[in-house]
Amino acid sequence: MKETCGKVGRTTFLLLAGIARIWELGSEVGRFFLTSFVRPKTIPRETFFRQMVLIGIDSTAIVSLVGAAVGTVLALQAAYSLKTFGAVMYTGSLVGVAMARELGPLIAAIVICGRIGARMAAELGTMRVQEEVDALTTMAINPVRFLVLPRVLALAIMLPCLSVIADVMGMLGGYLIGITGLGINSYVYISKTIDALVLKDIYTGLAKSFIFSILIALVSCHQGLTVSGGADAVGKATTQAVVISIVLIIVVDCLATAVIYYALPT
Amino acid sequence: MAQPIIEIKNLIKKFGDRTVLDGVHAVIPEGKITVIMGGSGCGKSTLLRHLIGLHRPTSGEVWVDGKNIAGLDEPGMNDVRKKFGMLFQGSALFNSMTVGENVAVPLKEHTDLSPEIIRIIVRVKLELVGLTGFENFMPHEISGGMKKRVALARAIALDPKIVFYDEPGAGLDPITASMIDRLILDLSKKLSITSVVVTHEMKSAFRIADQIIILQKGKVLQVGTAEDIQNSTNAYVQQFIQGEPEGAIPFKQTSEAYLKGLLDT
Repeated sequence: MKETCGKVGRTTFLLLAGIARIWELGSEVGRFFLTSFVRPKTIPRETFFRQMVLIGIDSTAIVSLVGAAVGTVLALQAAYSLKTFGAVMYTGSLVGVAMARELGPLIAAIVICGRIGARMAAELGTMRVQEEVDALTTMAINPVRFLVLPRVLALAIMLPCLSVIADVMGMLGGYLIGITGLGINSYVYISKTIDALVLKDIYTGLAKSFIFSILIALVSCHQGLTVSGGADAVGKATTQAVVISIVLIIVVDCLATAVIYYALPT
Repeated sequence: MAQPIIEIKNLIKKFGDRTVLDGVHAVIPEGKITVIMGGSGCGKSTLLRHLIGLHRPTSGEVWVDGKNIAGLDEPGMNDVRKKFGMLFQGSALFNSMTVGENVAVPLKEHTDLSPEIIRIIVRVKLELVGLTGFENFMPHEISGGMKKRVALARAIALDPKIVFYDEPGAGLDPITASMIDRLILDLSKKLSITSVVVTHEMKSAFRIADQIIILQKGKVLQVGTAEDIQNSTNAYVQQFIQGEPEGAIPFKQTSEAYLKGLLDT
């Protein structure tokens, strides 16, 4: 019993300490971001654009594919239940709302977490191990400004874009199943989707996606920059970056949904 | 002797219970090449990391160019850092950038020069280390010795007063290592840069040093010119120079403790 309590206590402590360090990193990035309005050179432009291409353009195909697949599955499963109420034609509304509010941002975030979060942690971790981060420090260049800031900004711009793509592709997947497999009239499907969606669905989805992007970038960069040791430590940091990011994304998603749809006045 | 540019006073560094630097006193003269030598684990790399502000001392003072960097905050430290360059043991080039971009990093970050001027400076610096025409190569496309030279070009990009070298000859063949030594000598004489070299390679140390500091167990054992060190009567220094496994430091360091440990269990 005592042992279990001790273990729980230690784990909680480590968790809180980790969150505190990520918060610290986040506030440092925030300060540099504010400085960049006065001194535009604060943002290392080349890294920023390189990261935007890597995160945005290079990930479009995979996010589209996963988004479409999820939309398709959702339509198929929803139709099964809706059939019992004779409401198959509402499949479009269900897929549209679910994709825009929840699944689009979530799917995009999880794909990017695996693709980009892991890459950031491994890249920065290797840089740490090979003394490149120390080299930056001795050149009087702040590693957070030079390495973390452009990655956070690039992800914060690109992830909401990717989640819109996932939204659209998911609705498209649902539409194709709806008109072919479920026999819903194309006009009915589209009009039901448009009727069900309100602007709030879209922008809450985008807001969530923005929060996820900050989480992924900060957690991954933090894991990378705090590597100490060799190849083994880089591997561990990479795994942890992905696992911690995904857990945080889902927990934060839960909280955000509760706050946006239940706590705030409509 | 020239004016001191670095003064280390009673520097103590502890990692937990382990004392790595145990009251180091040293003076590094301006415009000269000072070599810090010692066996593995004697604290020479730790000492170097204090000089460049990557470690903060547990107690003691480190004066670099008239400022006690032990008490400086990060912005203050960065002002000092702009006056020196550092060559890391593994070169520490940025792998995602070309050779030219690597050398240009400090110039882009700390000056407002136009890209054309930066390109010219990069070429001049690469010429100084004998690598003209390699601007567009990636670090993984060039040899270890060339990487060291690119790293050196990057370290001197901002015309520093001091350059620190961490094991400049490590992992290089004797010819390339002596070429790097030549470069250190050249830079020191031509540009009157103060050089601080951490190494355990005797040949290289005797070739380049104006002053040698020998560390042992976190303390300064002896300071002198290459000649002084070669003629030293200290048993440890002699063992170190000759590279003997037996001497002042026995090959088996813990035989008694080992026996006791075996019998106790």
